[in-house]
Order: sequence, then structure tokens, then C-alpha cells
Amino acid sequence: MKMKVVPKILKNMVSKPITTRFPHESNPIPDGYRGEHSYDVDKCISCNLCAKICPNKAIDMVEAPEKYKEKYPKKYPRVDIGKCCFCALCEDICPTGAIKLTKNFFLSTFNSSDVIKDPIPAKEVEDRG
Amino acid sequence: MQGTMEKIDDDTYELFFGPAHPGSGNFSVKLKVDGERIVSARADPGYLHRGFEKLMEYRLPLQNAVLSDRICVLESLAWNLVHAEAVDELMGVEVPERAKYIRVIMAELSRIQSHLIWYGIISIGTGFDTGFKLAFGYRDFILDLFELITGGRVYPAGYICPGGVRRDLPESAEEKILNVLDKIGKMIDFERAENPANLARLKDVGILNLKDAIRLGATGPVLRASGLKTDVRKEEPYEVYDRFDFEIPVRKEGDAYARFQIGLEEMEQSVGIIKQALKDLPDGDFIAKEFSKPKLNMKIPEGEAYIRNEIGRGEAGVYMVSDGGIKPYRVKIRGPSFLHIIPVLEFLLRDAQIADVPAIYWSLNGCPADIDR
Repeated sequence: MKMKVVPKILKNMVSKPITTRFPHESNPIPDGYRGEHSYDVDKCISCNLCAKICPNKAIDMVEAPEKYKEKYPKKYPRVDIGKCCFCALCEDICPTGAIKLTKNFFLSTFNSSDVIKDPIPAKEVEDRG
Repeated sequence: MQGTMEKIDDDTYELFFGPAHPGSGNFSVKLKVDGERIVSARADPGYLHRGFEKLMEYRLPLQNAVLSDRICVLESLAWNLVHAEAVDELMGVEVPERAKYIRVIMAELSRIQSHLIWYGIISIGTGFDTGFKLAFGYRDFILDLFELITGGRVYPAGYICPGGVRRDLPESAEEKILNVLDKIGKMIDFERAENPANLARLKDVGILNLKDAIRLGATGPVLRASGLKTDVRKEEPYEVYDRFDFEIPVRKEGDAYARFQIGLEEMEQSVGIIKQALKDLPDGDFIAKEFSKPKLNMKIPEGEAYIRNEIGRGEAGVYMVSDGGIKPYRVKIRGPSFLHIIPVLEFLLRDAQIADVPAIYWSLNGCPADIDR
């Protein structure tokens, strides 16, 4: 009975560890994973459904910045990741597939404004303007 | 054991077990002790109250399905199922066959991972660290499956929703589930080995006889460990449980070790159920047609429904009343842990030893999240 332990120890010494060295490497993330949102403003028809279905009211409909008002005159969803519960109901209800959940789960940040995702990101506004 | 002590006289003290105790989990028990013996115990819940019953009155059934994950964090899919069945019954939805099989598979996977937590936490509560690490390690394989199928490791976000399930099983899922079940078999073999540490800490501790178990309202594994053969899956089969061949494990002893063994045997039965379900898994739709796209204006017909299910911890129920609007008028949630952790625990702790408190507490497999709701 006790001798069974010895081969097990030897086997454990040469076998690969069960853990991975996160964040240097990570287990593969499956396709259906519910992570950070990706949003395509050109596909959006401003139907407001995502804001209505969101259980946590994490989605607000806001106007585009001044420079883009001509091109995007309607209201577009702004997602507050801090409120989001990643249920993907917005993805399911979206009639055009403008809003989707991606595999990105690296969402922790030191900057509280990073958690609010504007429909047209502020960085993009600066770059173009 | 830590906490503040109030001295009542020379020998009697008041001692807190929790809420900061690593083994108690957002729950505390006030113990009145006389030396090493407990004179009386008073459960003190309420650290995790989130008001689900009221929240559900302000949300659509689809949003409530997401909310129902949170009723018990350790068994979110089982609670998804109870909620979804209540809405199905009120709306008179015909759930597709494939969805029923997927629901059973997910509910049983959820039961296995819940029992693995149970095993792990009993082990750490009684000073057997290896068991804790192994159980949580093997549970991770099931979480990987949840990640693949539902998109989230712990919270499936209403994967089992009114009308069926939100996504179909991915192509690779069947093979991966069987692969994980083989691994779980290894874990069960490990648990089966009669460990002297477990035997010494759990045998003849916290004996609950059948009469008291029924009087105090115990259900599920706790009641079965006291000798009553009862299981909602057999008595009132929901989904497709009547098509599977499985046993209900029963023990006569009623002590902590018997409850611990029941958990182990149920895991084996669940593995069997999942294998049978995967074998007969039919093709077809995975969600009823009217639910295939989320709708905001779906009316729930007037009426009431009470659904009870067998989840890992015991009998879970959802009572739902609708007045014909789009939101439920009243939702009452009946969690199994409430009766196990308040009346049964207080009863068992009387005249027990201080050192046995973690063993008794965790052998009842309570979930503070579902007591407070």
C-alpha cells in the first residue's frame, strides 16, 4: 500500500504542473466568452433596445461629440463597464449586430474614466481633430 | 476560532463563529459556551441580503434569469433552472426536447461542482488541506466547461432562460464533458478512500435523527443522510429526469460523515445521469421560437406557479404570481439553506464541542447567499 506512493512522487516530479503562469501565459479563452464590449457605430441604428434590456442600466444613450454631430446625428449607447454584469443580453437583442462581447477580460484599471466606453472613443476624437 | 468574547460568569462565555471566520462565509453563529461545551447557539444571518424578491418585481423575466444566477453563487445554473421553469409554466411554453436535455446536463454539472466545493470546504474546516486543494482543482475543470458553454466561469448570465437555453452546446462540448467526467471519476476515487482525518473529525458528530430532521424542515442530502429516501427528481420528475436511470443514496446514521458520504455518492449518480443524457441528446432547436430573440413586451399571463427542484443543497422553490403584465407581480424564493443553517444548525450545535462547530456547520452544506437572498 505504502509503496504506491513512490512511483506517484516520481511521476509528479516529471509531469507538467496543472497551473499556468498567468499573466505570462493564459489558458485559451473559448469563442463564446463574455468579455469587454466591441461597438461599431456605423452599424448602429439607435434603436435604444440595448439600453432598455440592460438589467443593470449600464447603457446610456448619448449624443456624439460636436465634431461628429453631422455624421452621427442620433443618440448612441455608452457602456459603463463598472455597472455591466456581462450578461450579453445587449448582444442578443441588437438587430444589426453593432454591439458584441469580445474575449478581452483584462479590464482592471487605475483610471476610473477608463471604465466608461463612449460610442465614439474620446481618443479617436483627439486623433482626428 | 476568533471573535469577541463576552464574559457572563466564570465559566460561561459568548463566542462568535463568523462572520469574519474563514470557514463561515458571510454568516455568523453566536455560541454560548461553558468550557468546551456549547450551551446554546444562535444563528445570525443577514450579511448578504440583496433583496432578490423585490428586485424581480421590477424586471422582465429575461433580466430576472440573469439575476437568478446570484441567488446562490455556488449553484447558479440550478437556480437559473428553477426560475426558468416557473416562467415556462406561467407562460405555457413548450420547451424543445434538446433544451430539456441540455438543461439536465448543466444542472447536474452544477451539482457536481457544488458537491466538490462541499467536499473541499469540509476538508479545510476539519484540517485536511489536501482534500480542499484537490476538490477545488477538479472543480476548475467543470468551470472550464461552463466557460465554453455559457461564456462565463461562475455566472452563466441566465444560460438556462425561459423557453430553453440561451446558446446551443458547442460542437466540441460533448467530447470535453466526457473528458472532464473521467477526471471527476478520479476525484471520486480519491474521496472514496476512507481518510482517517475525515473519519476522526466527522464520525458520530452532529447526529440528526429522522424525526428531528423532518420536524426542523431539512431537505435534500441532509434529510437523506438521516434515513428518508426522498428526491424531487424521482418524486415529481421535472425536465427529463424520468427518462434516466439513477439511484437515490440514503444513509441511516444522520451524522456529519453520513452527510459527507451522501455528497460523494450523489456526485457518482450525477456523472451517470450526464453520460445518459449525452447519449440520448436529440437534435433540434435549443430554445422555443417565441423566445429565440429577446423581446421587451412579452406579457406573462395572469396566474401563479410554484416550482420545486432538487438542487445540490436540497429543495429549491420559486413561487411566481403574475397579474398579466410584462413583469412578475410577486416572486417568492425558497432556498434550501435557510432551514438547514438556522433551525437545524442551532439544534445540532446544542451540547456539541467547540472543535466540532466547523465540521457540523459545513456538513450541512449551507450557502449564506441563499439564506439571505
